[in-house]
Amino acid sequence: MSADGRAQTATGDPLLRVRDLIVRFDSGRNVVYAVNGVSFDLEAGGALGLVGESGSGKSVTSLAILRLLPRPAAKIVTGEIRLGGRDLIRLSDREMRRLRGKEMSLVPQDPLSGLNPVLTIGEQVVETLRAHENMRRREARDRAAELLGTVGIPRPADQLDRYPHQFSGGMRQRVLIAIALALRPTLLIADEPTTALDVTVQAQVLELLHDLTAQRGTAILLISHDLGIMARMTRRIMVMYAGYVVESAPTAEIFARPAHPYTAGLLRSIPRVGDAGRPLTPIVGSPPESGRLPRGCPFAPRCAWALDVCWQEMPPLDPVDAVSYSGGPPPGGHLLACHNPVAADEVEGGRPLRPGFRPAPPPEDGLVAQGTT
Amino acid sequence: MTTPPPSASEPALLEVHDLRVHFPITRGVIFRRTVGQVHAVDGLSLKLATAETVGLVGESGSGKTTLGRAIVGLLPPTSGTILFRGQPFSGRGTARNQAGRSQLQMVFQDPTASLDPRWRAGASIAEPLRVNHIGTRAERRERVSELLEVVGLSPVHARRYPHELSGGQRQRVGLARALALNPAVIVADEAVSALDVSIRAQVINLLQQLQDELKLSYLFIAHDLAVVRHLSNRVAVMYLGQIVEQATAADLYSDARHPYTVSLLSAVPVPDPLVEAGRQRIVLPGDPPNPASPPPGCRFHTRCWLRERLGNPERCAAEEPAHQHVSASHTAACHYAHEVPENVRLSTVGPTAEPAP
Repeated sequence: MSADGRAQTATGDPLLRVRDLIVRFDSGRNVVYAVNGVSFDLEAGGALGLVGESGSGKSVTSLAILRLLPRPAAKIVTGEIRLGGRDLIRLSDREMRRLRGKEMSLVPQDPLSGLNPVLTIGEQVVETLRAHENMRRREARDRAAELLGTVGIPRPADQLDRYPHQFSGGMRQRVLIAIALALRPTLLIADEPTTALDVTVQAQVLELLHDLTAQRGTAILLISHDLGIMARMTRRIMVMYAGYVVESAPTAEIFARPAHPYTAGLLRSIPRVGDAGRPLTPIVGSPPESGRLPRGCPFAPRCAWALDVCWQEMPPLDPVDAVSYSGGPPPGGHLLACHNPVAADEVEGGRPLRPGFRPAPPPEDGLVAQGTT
Repeated sequence: MTTPPPSASEPALLEVHDLRVHFPITRGVIFRRTVGQVHAVDGLSLKLATAETVGLVGESGSGKTTLGRAIVGLLPPTSGTILFRGQPFSGRGTARNQAGRSQLQMVFQDPTASLDPRWRAGASIAEPLRVNHIGTRAERRERVSELLEVVGLSPVHARRYPHELSGGQRQRVGLARALALNPAVIVADEAVSALDVSIRAQVINLLQQLQDELKLSYLFIAHDLAVVRHLSNRVAVMYLGQIVEQATAADLYSDARHPYTVSLLSAVPVPDPLVEAGRQRIVLPGDPPNPASPPPGCRFHTRCWLRERLGNPERCAAEEPAHQHVSASHTAACHYAHEVPENVRLSTVGPTAEPAP
């Protein structure tokens, strides 16, 4: 709540600063660029959402930040990832291990694979505590019980000796949140933290994540494809497509005034309670296969707003023209990578309204396979 | 439980009456003995009219998939009846049933798992025709091309293997296979849940278009309440093997009366930050109870926020609630269905009163 004000007044470095991150997967036979030059900042105590469909590079971005990319297939080609001023890319594995868990941690998507099935819950929480802090076993166990209590696990002391399979999905996710927050990290990365859970349990877990991060001033990088969760949990949203950030703006701004055709398309693709029965306006086609990107904007083949230039050149991520806002640009800025943005009156219908406008057809030479040629 | 009333004067195409599907819990290997029963579906009645979509929502373990499978004959019911066009339908192997069976088809959640990875898409789509000895090889090939076009693919896709298709295309193949025998009813079990947002919208529109063209009836099983609302004429909410509330989609979402429905609606994040900021949320404690030993009385009473507000009346724990009529087409199985405060009913869904332009 107060972090909004902080975000605007902060003059120093942001907590997390990512610049021009490029991640490449090389399977020997083909090369895929999963992240194509991603840049963003996350201030201390902030809440940033990463939205995108499968293959958009959102999980790879988060794994790159944690330096947990699968080796040797994936490689950070270039880029800078700074957490509290330190460049993570230059740290040794040993230094990274010291950092993970203590300064930044991850709540993974699948609570079952996030826990070790042959260790008790207590052992797993104690392990995290003792890996980073000089703590006696006894002391760590007491601390572990206390932590399980904070995430709302009933009778925490009795649960320490139970195994993951004895817990429900929601309870397991609470354990993972307890482990992730055990050492009060400054950054929490949550990758689809509730996708595996039922709605009522999802509501519990979201509330818990929200309350704990707000209380402790933990910054959260939330990855999800669910725009409802984004609306509830984040203050800023970054939309990714085919490894590029295509739009980034304060949450309210993204929903009220999406400027990228993909963002507008996503919003028109989800049924809303208010307009039942009306056909949705889906985005045509499917996301590009990684490794088969067009030369210009990767969204051009599906875009109703495409111009000729879109097939040739990927637009840079620039601030949206401030003139179009009556009250000046929104705090944090509205960034957009698009040659032909969606106008305010076109958002609702989800298609261009300019008379006679037709999307530019692909050029003669068509798609250019990226990386393979 | 009493049977909810027929939705309208229209005769039901499919009628499920007091259906129970129990699974035995066994112990031991040599001396296998049954030590309990999971009451996956426990006394459930439902009607589906021609060209109607009934949405079925509930959390995992509520029995919605079991119900869907029992209806298409993939699971034998423990008791109860399923009537299709007024005839009893059991799904099990007599010749007469076979004909009825082809009229009830299913589309599964995970199109990767429901297609054989070693079969070309065309072979999967033709399988129902082959099994039922319909047409010659050439006629079947013709029909496959036709079906592919119906679901928005092209005949060239018949030659593709599942791994050569995208998730959305695979789900379209699954749909084409379900349509091969010209069914009257399609049970869609989380059919769009595994798809990406932009692809999901395409498949949702396709489902609606097919319904208009072919007069299909859908039993649409999903946990995504917004999608269910979008597609359904009526919605039934399941909790631990039973329907707790049933109404037209518009009524259910604007005037929910069962405390479980209210909390489900309030739990779903709304993709609108203004609505999200102003909503009241009811967060249920705990997890759904084990369906092997459902709580006595009202099955929801252990997690019920309304019961708590009313000072935990004994009746909830002692007596199983019957369906009460809220209106002619709206029933809720709660002793205190009329006690759900109006401000709660409205605030859970947020200010959605703005009319669609």
